[in-house]
Amino acid sequence: MSIELNAVCKSFGSFEAVRSIDLTIGEGEFVAILGPSGCGKTTLLRMLAGFEQPTSGQILIDGRVVAGSGVMMPPEKRRVGMVFQSFALWPHMNVAEHIRFPIRAHKETPAHIKRNERERVEQVLDLAGLAPLASRMPHELSGGQKQRVSIARAIASEPSLLLMDEPLSSLDAMLRMDMRREIQHVHRRTSSSIVYVTHDQGEALAMADRIIVMKDGKIEQAGTPSEVYLHPQTIFVAKFVSKANLVKGRWINNRFIPENSINTSWSGEGAGSSFKLNRIYPVRPDQFLISQESQAGIIGEIVNIQFQGREFQYHIRSGSDHLEVISSLPFRLYDKVTLSLKQQVG
Amino acid sequence: MSEVRPHSISIPQNGKDRKILSPFFRRFRGSRAAGLLGMLAVLLLFIFPVIKLILLSFQSDSGFTLAHYRELMHQERFWTTLRNTGTVVAGSTSLSLLLGTVFAWVVAYTDIGRKRMLHLAILLCFILPSYVLTLSWSSLMGPQGWATKLLQWVNPGLAPWSMYSMGGIIFVMGIHHFPLVYMFTLEVFRKIPRDLEWAARAGGSGAFRTFCRITLPLALPGLTAGGLLVFLASLDNFGIPAFLGTPVNISVLSTLIYEEIIGFGPSAFARGACLSVLLGAAAVLGSLIQWMLLRKNHVSDTVQPDFVPRYTLGRFGKAVSAALWIFLLLITVVPLSSMITMSLKRAYGLGLTASNITFDNYRYVLFENPQVWMAIRNSLVLSLVTMLVCLVAGSLFAYLRVRKPSGLNKAVEIAASVPYTLPGIVFALSMILVWMEPIPGWNPGIYGTMSILFIAYICRFLILQIRSGVSAFMQIDSSIEEAARVSGAGIRRRWIAILLPLVLPGLLTGGILVFLTALTELTVSALLYASGSQTIGVTIFSFEQAGDTLYSTALSSLIVALIGAGGAVLLLIHKWTSRPGGQSHEY
Repeated sequence: MSIELNAVCKSFGSFEAVRSIDLTIGEGEFVAILGPSGCGKTTLLRMLAGFEQPTSGQILIDGRVVAGSGVMMPPEKRRVGMVFQSFALWPHMNVAEHIRFPIRAHKETPAHIKRNERERVEQVLDLAGLAPLASRMPHELSGGQKQRVSIARAIASEPSLLLMDEPLSSLDAMLRMDMRREIQHVHRRTSSSIVYVTHDQGEALAMADRIIVMKDGKIEQAGTPSEVYLHPQTIFVAKFVSKANLVKGRWINNRFIPENSINTSWSGEGAGSSFKLNRIYPVRPDQFLISQESQAGIIGEIVNIQFQGREFQYHIRSGSDHLEVISSLPFRLYDKVTLSLKQQVG
Repeated sequence: MSEVRPHSISIPQNGKDRKILSPFFRRFRGSRAAGLLGMLAVLLLFIFPVIKLILLSFQSDSGFTLAHYRELMHQERFWTTLRNTGTVVAGSTSLSLLLGTVFAWVVAYTDIGRKRMLHLAILLCFILPSYVLTLSWSSLMGPQGWATKLLQWVNPGLAPWSMYSMGGIIFVMGIHHFPLVYMFTLEVFRKIPRDLEWAARAGGSGAFRTFCRITLPLALPGLTAGGLLVFLASLDNFGIPAFLGTPVNISVLSTLIYEEIIGFGPSAFARGACLSVLLGAAAVLGSLIQWMLLRKNHVSDTVQPDFVPRYTLGRFGKAVSAALWIFLLLITVVPLSSMITMSLKRAYGLGLTASNITFDNYRYVLFENPQVWMAIRNSLVLSLVTMLVCLVAGSLFAYLRVRKPSGLNKAVEIAASVPYTLPGIVFALSMILVWMEPIPGWNPGIYGTMSILFIAYICRFLILQIRSGVSAFMQIDSSIEEAARVSGAGIRRRWIAILLPLVLPGLLTGGILVFLTALTELTVSALLYASGSQTIGVTIFSFEQAGDTLYSTALSSLIVALIGAGGAVLLLIHKWTSRPGGQSHEY
């Protein structure tokens, strides 16, 4: 099952939510669409589901146009499953009924599933760890259990595409970690393609095969989690995904010389052109090496320390800039330090 | 930004999709035509009557004129009526505000026992049709009533104060409408965050001072809106002044319009139209102010009502509870019982002894008087049809209004609320004007038959169903429906398996409200009925006007029984809704 988006645009009145998106999602691929609120990621997802019609461009599922000019296949005819942020459970149905519903309602449920409805319901209940809760009503479930029901319902009829709209954002932090594992588990077991919308870069990095970073309705950068994280191509991606410091300085060809530094130049192999244009260099907090003795590096002063358990988070003032550095080495407030770059790993 | 795609790409290659989707587009185009047709119907049914009414008040043989208004200004009776209306409205609104605020505060903030029962008992005053409440009070205070008996037992010279007076009208109207203030204020009180009151207490302010300086100012927009609601209801009310005022020549605007139209003088309609325009303008002004107040107060929509008591009554609990209950029993149950015993008497003036008890009055109204039986049948058929039409049309419209909000359907909602906002007598007159001769020279024979009552009831009560429908659908998040769509459910399955089970209790509550309101309707039918299309309300009114008190009380008692049955059904629906899994309501 492959999904193809060709120059898909969507505007609401004069507001352009999605601007000319081209994207191909391969069979069994786990794609995360990552972006801040209002970047058009949910609109994109709703177009894949069939709740919104693209203003222009077309969407193909398995080579068949499901949305384009003059064509709009409604959601109930597309073979997609969807997990909602608010769970969207039906308050009058129990867990087993939630799973049975799409098997019966979907006209294109594979025949072998329709024939063995009971086995399939049990199988899905097992997969989602809901077997002991089969006859519970939604109001008798905890948040995590509700989300598992929502996922179970979405996969029950073996859809070719599973859409997830910020499925973890209404759960508390601890539960979110557990649910990440469960979603990965479901992905491995069902081998269906997943499009996962989130504003949490941690979730996207942890689970996705590929990350699409969106901003203002356009794709900023697409790539594997490590590509996007280690080699951000735009300022936005560097800040939003890598949480990088934007160090000011000068570019000389492919070398970067930071401000307030002594004997320092960094290699800028493969750095995005926007960094060069803006005379900055992205450095993640964990990429810095702090040392007390004055040697080559950026000169600064520690102005704030937060102990995080495994490491310290330092705020370092260098000239008029503040840099964030994570290090396991202890320093004291107002220590004068120099910052250099660790050896690149990726 | 969005570039135009080459035409060749937009045509799907396999052609199958087009076949599936073309009905979708055809239906889309069809729905536009239906929308236009609907707009036309809305204009004709809801807006046109008002325009016609306003035009008539300015019309004469020689074009536009202010002559009708000038004529009114010169009548002494008009000014007396205006003064009476002002006194009645001001007096009853103040009484309602006082009672409503006190009851709302006690129920919202104290730990008084049996709140659910208390709530229902308070609502009873409003659920009873105003003319039934009026009859029960006039029978309690009348020469044969319990109150008189009691006073005469104390001292033979004593007699209770007559209900047939301004005071009587103000009193009955006040107790009839105070539940409106109560319901409005209850919600407002509960939404005032308790930490605001705590902050005042912590700052050294006493309980009373806190109420005056914090609670009351915060509740003021809600209180004012509730007061305006009562103001509108008092302007609208016809039953109470017609039963208590007309016999002693006290008229208010609504009864004056009725008398003008029934009197059928040469320029009766024009004078009636003038009065209606004045009354209608006052009502519309009141609604506008109320709407603006509530709009400003929109913020409180997001605040969750707080149901936990804030004050413990402690040792006063029993006394306060007893006082409230005695008051409620005195204003409803005691007069009702007095009315029911009256209806069981063999003849007006006899005492209530075993030998005097009879069901003759019931036998007469039910079996021997074909008019009454016909009126009951008319009212039942009218309210049943009105309920069904409103249930289907109102609910579908409410769904559209919630799921696909647009300027257009907002306009339709406002238009549909016009007949209910206008005082009933004004609305009825506008219906006559439109349906007597919708197109000059063509009388479709609607006026003077049941048909005009059907049209009038449906137009007037549709908004009640729309409002319950809107609040029912609002509680269903659109993702609930979207989840059903991605699960493969088409429109039929979505409604049957998901939507209806969730919204039906809310829709039915609205339907029963429409049914009960239509069943006991008096004002609109009083002006629109003809021989053969009398309703229950009109029949009780005629009995009372003819002095057949025993029959009117018997029929009223039957109404009370019918309302009791309706109320029981409502309670069952609520019980069903609050079962595990359903949405639970506090009340």
